[in-house]
Amino acid sequence: MKPFNRRVRASLLDANLQFALDANAKRRITVRQNAFASLPGAEQMRHRAHAVRLEVIDHLDEYLEQFTRNLERNGVIVHRAADAAQAVQIVLEIAHAHGVQRVAKSKTMVSEEIGLNPALEAEGLQVVETDLGEYIVQLRGEPPSHIITPAVHLRRQDVGRLFHEKLGIPLTEDISVMTAAARKVLREVFLSADMGISGVNFGVAETGTLCILTNEGNGRMVTTVPKVHVALMGMERLVPTLDDLALMLALLPRSATGQKITVYANLLHGPRREGEPDGPGERHLVLLDNGRSAVQRSELAEILCCIRCGACLNACPVFREIGGHAYVGKGGGYAVYPGPMGSVVAPALFGQAEFGHLARASSLCGACAEACPVEIDLPRLLLRVRAGQVGRPEERAQAKPNAPWLLSLGLRLFRWAAVSPGRFALAQRLAGWLGRAAPGGWLRLPALTGWGLSKDFPAPARQTFHQRFAVRTASALGQAAPAAAAVAQAEAIPAAPLGIAYSLIGRFEQELAALGGVSVRCSEAELPGRIAALLREKGVQAILAWEDSALPGGLLDGLRLQGVGVVHPRAGNKWEDAQLRAGLTGVIAAAAETGSLLLTGGPGRPLNASLLPELHIAILRQEHLLPGIADLLVHPALRASAAAVLVSGPSRTADIEMTLTIGVHGPGELVVFCI
Amino acid sequence: MTETIQLFVTCILDTLYPQVGEAVVSVLERCGVQVAFPAGQTCCGQPAFNAGLRGEARPMAQHTIRTFEQAPGRVVVPSGSCAAMIRHGYLELFAGDADWLPRAQALAARTFEFSEFLVDGLGVSDVGAVFDGTLTYHSSCHLLRELGVDRQPHLLLANVRGARLVELPGTQECCGFGGVFSVEQPAISSAMLERKLDNIQSTGADVVVACDSGCVTNINGGLRRGGRSPRVVHIAEILAGVGR
Repeated sequence: MKPFNRRVRASLLDANLQFALDANAKRRITVRQNAFASLPGAEQMRHRAHAVRLEVIDHLDEYLEQFTRNLERNGVIVHRAADAAQAVQIVLEIAHAHGVQRVAKSKTMVSEEIGLNPALEAEGLQVVETDLGEYIVQLRGEPPSHIITPAVHLRRQDVGRLFHEKLGIPLTEDISVMTAAARKVLREVFLSADMGISGVNFGVAETGTLCILTNEGNGRMVTTVPKVHVALMGMERLVPTLDDLALMLALLPRSATGQKITVYANLLHGPRREGEPDGPGERHLVLLDNGRSAVQRSELAEILCCIRCGACLNACPVFREIGGHAYVGKGGGYAVYPGPMGSVVAPALFGQAEFGHLARASSLCGACAEACPVEIDLPRLLLRVRAGQVGRPEERAQAKPNAPWLLSLGLRLFRWAAVSPGRFALAQRLAGWLGRAAPGGWLRLPALTGWGLSKDFPAPARQTFHQRFAVRTASALGQAAPAAAAVAQAEAIPAAPLGIAYSLIGRFEQELAALGGVSVRCSEAELPGRIAALLREKGVQAILAWEDSALPGGLLDGLRLQGVGVVHPRAGNKWEDAQLRAGLTGVIAAAAETGSLLLTGGPGRPLNASLLPELHIAILRQEHLLPGIADLLVHPALRASAAAVLVSGPSRTADIEMTLTIGVHGPGELVVFCI
Repeated sequence: MTETIQLFVTCILDTLYPQVGEAVVSVLERCGVQVAFPAGQTCCGQPAFNAGLRGEARPMAQHTIRTFEQAPGRVVVPSGSCAAMIRHGYLELFAGDADWLPRAQALAARTFEFSEFLVDGLGVSDVGAVFDGTLTYHSSCHLLRELGVDRQPHLLLANVRGARLVELPGTQECCGFGGVFSVEQPAISSAMLERKLDNIQSTGADVVVACDSGCVTNINGGLRRGGRSPRVVHIAEILAGVGR
């Protein structure tokens, strides 16, 4: 039996896996549909997103050049890797140059693609995955089974046993206990790692911005805390402008997890600058080709539009039955990218001969294309892989279909009959004659026919429609038509009421509450008293804070008068800083529509104050409220910063059984004082 | 003047379910159109196209295009996936072919699926059908997603006298047919079908209605093998009043 078929059989027989996959499909499909139902103009946004991505793919060289130029101006060291081996070599050289021993990684599928972890480990480096799901599969020694939720194939009992064995914690089925255990282990990893490795969700060409999304906050840790940050990025993951990025930020989280927005959107420009309290001393970007430029010129180019949201995996009825680990090549190696997108990406990037058969494991139902936020016509691409049309359009004549030989033979015979009405009629007559022998009008075919595994086949009719119609034409036409009720034309759907006046602050408070954050309105004069009261309530004596210059005047003195200890983060002091349980920051601007805060790093504005503590207290001036994410992204302070973040609620994960757990690596509580 | 439409009955209906073809004709005639049947028609080529065998699919598509070029007027197809093959598949199949692409486009522009044609093409929502019992509707994938036809069959069924329409849970989930997929990957296909059969059983409906004889064959084949009821019929059988 072929490795793929062996995997399929094993998946179908694994009750635990079936339960997990079923739960995933049900939940993810529903939350995605709900998230899109509440998005006005969603279809137009998808059209636009498709156009934006195609524009990039069609002019990839120009956008890459612009992107690279801007990154370098921002102080990022850019490397181009032609293939996996080069990419690994580049990372190794950076690691050696800095004497790196321990690497903290946030989720990156590109690193799976290039096989980075084993390569680093072979050189004696310790590599720790810090996304909860990714950490779980790393402890199990297996690859992620889903590009967004790596441990989707597991149930809580599996994780409980794993943590008991590997972390030595008592056996538990309580997901929050497991999450807390992982947090504790990984916190130590973040603080002790010499290098952080992350992926990149989007690169913005016009500004040289690296956008990295993370719910748990680990994607902030690995890009902020260690002294070197290396970002890995497929060279096609670009958008031209920040406005386009705003569009993607509206679509990706909704498609991936049904969230309106991801908790943290890191917006990185460069390394730490002179006088800044935190951030890595060096920031590198590895731009990976690994077959992408060839795909760009091929008939599968549209797959490069993919933004890796995982919606097609969740929507796919085949993925739901077999899971991500079943997607293997002829030799049994993982396809890296599973599901519908993976069944195109793997043959496109890693070879038709090895992975082309994956495209045949699809009923072409189109649920993937329906779910795709950038409207990739996945069934069409799957059909091209089946037809062997994986090269350039000019090479189409040499395309070799990958259909099994018996099927090819059968369909060749079928074609021979079907192009001649006479032969076709003869074949039908033969079938009808065979059908007469079928008991009860049904044929019981053997299992090896495929069809016969679980189904009977209806016996062909004695007389075809052709024959019946020929007889019928001789007889009279049917009776007069009844008065058919005219169909009322579909009434124009009234435009959604736009006129509901809302105050920005009201909307902001509502959205923040929906994210699990808390907002408090008060006057500037009340601030020290209110904050001190909150800290007393939480039993917190000292806070990690932004400096006076970046906060309302007199606030820190006011807090000190109330007996609150105020600490400013300093480079090299991260272990002590990480002990503090509350952080105090300002807010550069906020978006009412999503409840998001824009925080930019810089002198006096350490990003760690909003990241390391369990409680994040933010001060927002109401005049800094803007309508949406797009307004935040074009804020001049963002472009001027080396690193910035959009914060939308407390950190969270749903990596174990999709159960929402608040407070992972970032703060578990967010309180915004609106003055 | 009475309109004459060209019926492309599809090879599955022709060979396995000629009575459904007759139901299609009867409904169309009741709605006041004359039905012509180009006798040279065979198969649209979809099985080969979906198998990736474009070299085999092309001659079949060309044969279909030629056959209907001699038959003027709108073309009605009582199968979502065959209609989608002509409307979308042919354009992919003949992409870059200066001779055949325009001919494929011309046929695509006048081709309609049966329920779509009744509602959008003729403006009919009530064909005067009667059915005493409970119906549920399975959405065929290509009809729903490639042609965007969903409202039309629902409207037609809603106006069947005596029929109670119940929602099929997961109606938009694939039944596992997928043409050659069902024989190439029988284990996955069967698992998908099993889910569909369980959902069907949960409705308690007397009859399941679909607009694609591929799904009909697949689901009925599974029901029959498992000794389960009810059964799936093509929408034309209900609309012709011969559903039971």
